[in-house]
Amino acid sequence: MNTENIEAKVIEFIASKVEDVDASSITAASEFEALGLDSMDRVQLLFDAEETFGVTFEDDEVKDFHCVKDIIDYINNHQPSSSSSEND
Amino acid sequence: MRIVVTGMGIVSPIGSSIDQFWNAAINGNNGIGPIQCFDASNNRSRIAGEIKDFDPKSFLSNKQIEQTDRFTQLAMHAANQAIADAGGLEYYKPRRLAVSVGSGMGGFATFESSAERKLNNRSIPPFTVPRTMANSAAAWIATIHGLKGANLTCSTACSSGGNAIGMGLDLLRTGKADAVITGGAEACVLPLTIAGFEALYALSTGYNNDPQHASRPFAKGRDGFVMGEGAGILVLEREDSAKQRGAKIYAQLAGYGCACDAGHIVAPDMDGQVAAMDAAIQDAEITPERVDYINAHATSTPLGDVIETKAIKQLFGKHAKEIIISATKSMIGHTIGASAAIGSIAAIMSLQTGMIHPTINLDEADSECDLNYAPNIALTKPLNTALCNAFGFGGNNVSLVFSTPII
Repeated sequence: MNTENIEAKVIEFIASKVEDVDASSITAASEFEALGLDSMDRVQLLFDAEETFGVTFEDDEVKDFHCVKDIIDYINNHQPSSSSSEND
Repeated sequence: MRIVVTGMGIVSPIGSSIDQFWNAAINGNNGIGPIQCFDASNNRSRIAGEIKDFDPKSFLSNKQIEQTDRFTQLAMHAANQAIADAGGLEYYKPRRLAVSVGSGMGGFATFESSAERKLNNRSIPPFTVPRTMANSAAAWIATIHGLKGANLTCSTACSSGGNAIGMGLDLLRTGKADAVITGGAEACVLPLTIAGFEALYALSTGYNNDPQHASRPFAKGRDGFVMGEGAGILVLEREDSAKQRGAKIYAQLAGYGCACDAGHIVAPDMDGQVAAMDAAIQDAEITPERVDYINAHATSTPLGDVIETKAIKQLFGKHAKEIIISATKSMIGHTIGASAAIGSIAAIMSLQTGMIHPTINLDEADSECDLNYAPNIALTKPLNTALCNAFGFGGNNVSLVFSTPII
């Protein structure tokens, strides 16, 4: 999955998880708080993101996540390399 | 002080509204079939009373669904119905609105799925604990409806719903609430739970290819209970305030009795059952001869149905033959913590309609089960007083007495 695809898919994923937010208004810069996500909602969101994108978030790395871009960057940085893509 | 029932709601294998459930019950509809919600091919008991067409999306947001176990969702759906049926509860102050819900297993669907993930070194959903905890159903009912009074949960295995309703009665009698949303909920048609009851030889295993005949209380050939799922919720309030606010009154909850066997952890005991029924009748300030219908616990186990029959004969003497008894579990299986609430709804509908739903699959009764169990066909008889029994692991015995509004 290329970077642009990941961004689009993460935004689409976020849109499916938030309530009372216009999906078209969600961008990479959208902050969780502005999307109505409280601290427990964010924990649930990251759990669901792990299931959806096949990544594992490390606790000490996600504690400072505050916007959609943080998830996008994490997934981009933890993409399996082509030589180890046998499980893709 | 009279306490009355002013609202009812239900989710069951034969109907997810009071009208649907009662029409199905009167017609003797059968809600038992092969287990659909997981692959039960490795289980010895592969049948259950499952709820069909239950869609939590019809009344919950995606976020609420993520945060709730199925048993809570069933409880919420039944509570929504009951509160709407009662005409809403705006008449009362939120701090005077209590919840008392029973569940034997709580959020065990969540527990089982999260345990499986953990054992496979996978992360677990963050709401594993608040979904699993037994009081999540009561908490969510309160949250959705703004009920800010006492919020109680009772877990006494198969008598949980009966105890919860009794606790609701106590809250009203002692002035600790003005209205109580009460009942029971259970959703444990699950691999580990089924295996656990199998290990106790409590479940039917001989009717996997003939599920419609598996739940057969009091009948020859019964070989254990069939797991069921569901929820039943009542709205209770004082008769004077119910009348003042113009609520319709279904029945009086006249008596509550409970007793512990303090003997075996799972085996039934006749003395405890007699004691609970006797206590409920005394609490209702009536004599045993006034009881004309019993919604029996009657799970379809070889021992349990005989013990309950003996207990009824012991307490009621000659009058036992005059009482009509029926077993809701013959149609829906054993809904564990919800069973007493669903049985109570059946008893209340009998008081309301003068109809008694049948005990199905009762072509030939066990020779030791020799009372009138309304076999196979609904009966018509005007009723004034109904008793609902619930007996649970832990030696818990609960009886509730319902009567027509004015006695």
